[in-house]
Amino acid sequence: MKRLILAAGLLASAAAALPPGPPPGPPPPYQVRGEAPAGDRLKPGGDGKVLFQVHCGYCHLAGGMGTNLLTKQRMMMGETPDKGLLANRTDLTADYVKSVVRMGKGAMPAQTKVDVTDAELDAVSKYLGKAG
Amino acid sequence: MKLHLPPRVSPKTFDAMLTAAAGVVGKDWVMASDADRDAYSDVYAPGSSEEWPAGAAIAPASVEEVRAIVRLANEHKTPLWPVSRGKNLGYGTAAPRLQGSIVLDLGRMNKVLELDSALAYCVIEPGVGFFDLYEHIQREKAPLWLSVPGNAWGSVLGNALEHGIGYTSYGLHARNLCGIEAVLPDGDLMRTGMGAMTNNPAFHLFPMSYGPTFDLAFSQSNLGIVTKAGLWLQPAPETSLELVWDIPAVDDIGWVIDTIAPLKISGLIDQNVFIPSWLGKMVLKGQRKDFWDKPGAIPEARVEELLKEHKLGYWQVALRFYGDEGVVKAKAAVVKAAMERNLKTPPAEHWWHPGDYIHGVEITMGIPSAVPLQMSDWIGGRGAHMGFSPVVPATGKHVLDQMHRSRKIIADFDVDFYASFTIGGRFANNVNMLMYDRDNAEEVVKMRRLFDALITETAKAGYAEYRTHLGWMDPVMDTFDFNGHALRRFGEKVKNALDPNGIVAPGKQGIWPAAYAAQRAKNSGGKA
Repeated sequence: MKRLILAAGLLASAAAALPPGPPPGPPPPYQVRGEAPAGDRLKPGGDGKVLFQVHCGYCHLAGGMGTNLLTKQRMMMGETPDKGLLANRTDLTADYVKSVVRMGKGAMPAQTKVDVTDAELDAVSKYLGKAG
Repeated sequence: MKLHLPPRVSPKTFDAMLTAAAGVVGKDWVMASDADRDAYSDVYAPGSSEEWPAGAAIAPASVEEVRAIVRLANEHKTPLWPVSRGKNLGYGTAAPRLQGSIVLDLGRMNKVLELDSALAYCVIEPGVGFFDLYEHIQREKAPLWLSVPGNAWGSVLGNALEHGIGYTSYGLHARNLCGIEAVLPDGDLMRTGMGAMTNNPAFHLFPMSYGPTFDLAFSQSNLGIVTKAGLWLQPAPETSLELVWDIPAVDDIGWVIDTIAPLKISGLIDQNVFIPSWLGKMVLKGQRKDFWDKPGAIPEARVEELLKEHKLGYWQVALRFYGDEGVVKAKAAVVKAAMERNLKTPPAEHWWHPGDYIHGVEITMGIPSAVPLQMSDWIGGRGAHMGFSPVVPATGKHVLDQMHRSRKIIADFDVDFYASFTIGGRFANNVNMLMYDRDNAEEVVKMRRLFDALITETAKAGYAEYRTHLGWMDPVMDTFDFNGHALRRFGEKVKNALDPNGIVAPGKQGIWPAAYAAQRAKNSGGKA
């Protein structure tokens, strides 16, 4: 565990000195998303993790566009690269997730209710919103 | 975004249309709040997205619901703007050409209706995205590959219907369409090709009709709403080999085209060959300010330094072969010998065999990815792009002529030059990517004027674009001037006959129905 923390720390501090860009090595393979649940997309109480994969997975799984941009941003803030994955974040609130999804942020466009319904977004924001 | 009504539609009639539509699709699938209108706006709009504002959006789930909405739209005279998934980034996203149009979002119609491994095709609805189809094929373990565009977030059919391009042997996506079902502007339903006969099993196999052939009449078109189509797929190859050459100098593109195009035309190269300039690689390495932190175009001397620092050529040719190993080896030997006549450095060679690792951004192997959209971060802020996309004959002479012209115009506007040529056969698609920060008003004004200049000067030289942003659909249609704009006159005659109320996508690609003729050239071009 100690070695892991040390390695992560080294990575984080080395990041400041390295030229910007994606992490070295080949990109990860295609990340197959969970299967979209059958049934009424307007019904509350869906599985936030699966719905996150289905509706946000285009960009926010390992190697995705959003993950790549966020990894760079988080590392510049002194965090470890794994925090580029939204699923690993502990500082997001459900309300913040909803606001970014509906309003867009930086390179991310606002998502329509066909992209992700309010009921699905509720479940996703509960899953990602580990800070409440 | 506040509500912009379509021409001649009162708030009361607009509301009545939405209420009636809710009776068809359910109230949750009629989206008409300010936030909904924002979500359906052009996220990459050069300037205010209120130039091309949607009035609302309606999302049907079936062909019958599409037909019912079209009939209601005719009753209420409310124009519709059909989108498959609404991710036409750089060309208008989901936003309509005519203000107040109701976006008909077909994203809920996302079924893969058939997948046939033996005859290598599928039948899909417009809401099926590249990621969806790819995963469906993986789950079925079907030996089939996709051809994907740079941004694969969008719809498979939407991309093909917009004449999108991919980088495999199946890269001319509109050519993969075979057998279309479309709802016509009066709510009627039609099937093309062999599908015009009830239950004909060759619906999605024979690309021509008995009589006039209408499949592509529904592409870049406002003559109907495609509700399903057949799409030919590439059989998974036994092996694949990628050859990568860095091409040193900007004018080398001339001999590169003269080397590769004949081999593509002869059939020795199957793939659509994509040749991006260096900036296409740099945009994925960081932000512009990391490499050049001053306004204005990156000077030539700095470009030279960057190419050396990052070991890049001015262009890169990454050519891929697919198929039996012996055949691939033999084909590669021919291409290597041809390239060697101008470039002694041998290419990097990357073999792939079934079971080998494929990374997630391997576009020439049909892996869908949105990573190329990272270029929106290059400029920073609310980064956006527009593509200026003329087509030229695939000879070095034409390509150099086109490249020198747009490079000079772009340099005169003090903007970075980022071009690519894709050799699709006898022609090359030249995409000039113009990247900007939407919140930098001065830069946006400059980009719009630049876009005007590129269209005008390119047309003077005799070339035209194959696709364009909403705001330039009229100026580009204007450039098709043979016999008093006979193409537009024909298009509008057909449009008026099929769609007397001008309900389906008025203004799409510069085809205006009589009902909205007064709207032509509004919110159009760089000065708007």
